[in-house]
Amino acid sequence: MAAPLLVLDDIRKVYTKGRIIRHPTFTLQANLSLDEPGIVGVVGPNGAGKTTLFEMMTGSNAPTSGRVLVAGTDIHGVKYRERDRLAIHYHQSYQVRRFRKRVPSALLAPSPTRTPLVHLFDEPQFNLQDGYIGFMLDFFRKLRDEGKLVILCMHPTASWHLDVLAEIAGQFLFVAGGGVSRIADFRELSAEPRFRAYLGPEMTRAADAICHSST
Amino acid sequence: MSMIEAAGVHVRFGDRVVLESVDLAVAEGEFHGVMGPNGAGKTTFFNVLTGRVKPSRGKVLLGGEDVTGLPPHRIAAKGIARSFQIMTLFDEFSARDNVMMGLPEFRARGLDVARAAAGDSQFATKASEALAAVGLVDRGDIRARDLSYGDRRALEIAVALAQAPRVLCLDEPTSGLGSDGVQRLAALVARLKGKLTIVAIEHDMEFLFSLADRISVIHWGQVVARGTPHELQQNDWVRRSNLGKFA
Repeated sequence: MAAPLLVLDDIRKVYTKGRIIRHPTFTLQANLSLDEPGIVGVVGPNGAGKTTLFEMMTGSNAPTSGRVLVAGTDIHGVKYRERDRLAIHYHQSYQVRRFRKRVPSALLAPSPTRTPLVHLFDEPQFNLQDGYIGFMLDFFRKLRDEGKLVILCMHPTASWHLDVLAEIAGQFLFVAGGGVSRIADFRELSAEPRFRAYLGPEMTRAADAICHSST
Repeated sequence: MSMIEAAGVHVRFGDRVVLESVDLAVAEGEFHGVMGPNGAGKTTFFNVLTGRVKPSRGKVLLGGEDVTGLPPHRIAAKGIARSFQIMTLFDEFSARDNVMMGLPEFRARGLDVARAAAGDSQFATKASEALAAVGLVDRGDIRARDLSYGDRRALEIAVALAQAPRVLCLDEPTSGLGSDGVQRLAALVARLKGKLTIVAIEHDMEFLFSLADRISVIHWGQVVARGTPHELQQNDWVRRSNLGKFA
């Protein structure tokens, strides 16, 4: 059987302050496996660690402990300039290629694949006027149908952002409180109290309306 | 066979990947539109087609011939002409002189004065034809700087046409034009359509959707969607947007 597309093998990232006595200021832990091609929505409050999570997934920020496996390969053991052949990270419109280089590239392994298997879109700029959103969503579906894993992070600030998430994502990751929870579908996400608290009353009503209209 | 084709074009500037992998095949006589948000890599893609940027991977074929990485003047000589997002005319010269300088035979002549004396009228005739094609035949003697903005746009196209190109690349031809100017340009492009292979980057969706045979949408350095205007408008989100109006 082929290796799962993305495994966060008991990863943990700890940021500390202080040079001699180190106090942890931020901790993020995750242990999960995304085996199949699909589209995964990622949501969570600011400062919860979404960016750190993405950086770990795409090889730009190594976890303090644990491993990130893309199709069975530890992405943090791959040459920096070839990591985007395993997983590619876009922030808004641009590819993120800032790697914290701790090991010389010569000591790292080449990427076993030529084109990325994991495509991560961090807050793509959607707007309703220009229609590009439709092309972007179809592009995510195309990638999924080609066997890729698409990870889409959004900050829902308008009700149609929730429409996008409900339409496109097959499952969700909710990042909060130093951990990553896996959530099966939009209905379950909307029922999650921490997600409702993050959305606020008006957006929660919009999320509930989407759940009602789909029954 | 395609008139112009790009296969797996990848461009990296330092650590920034501008084009991830772009494929495009445009048939002879097709008008192909290219759209996408700012910073998507559209102009860089044009720069690859016209030789100003050498791709780190991938190929550009013109009429089946590999022209990847040739310098711009060689590619121009093989028949790809372009206009720029920012206009590039000789302001102090007349419209006709601007066009004449675009004629390959004029440039080939160099500084040979005897041939200049013998040949100028023939060049002037050719230049007048190009000016006529864009509706500027009666403004040939006006200095480029004194032409209206719309006329300058048209003149740029005349300069490109003077090269008798096989492929015309237009980078945002309607930018800066008022609605009258856009209409005139649309009429001009409609006349050229079918006679010439045209690739146009454009933000004016009404212009693009009414004229293009097919459209490629570029985002994240990749072609995220491609189809006829009708096909692209089948998407629900597109129908809800301003693009939906141009069906």
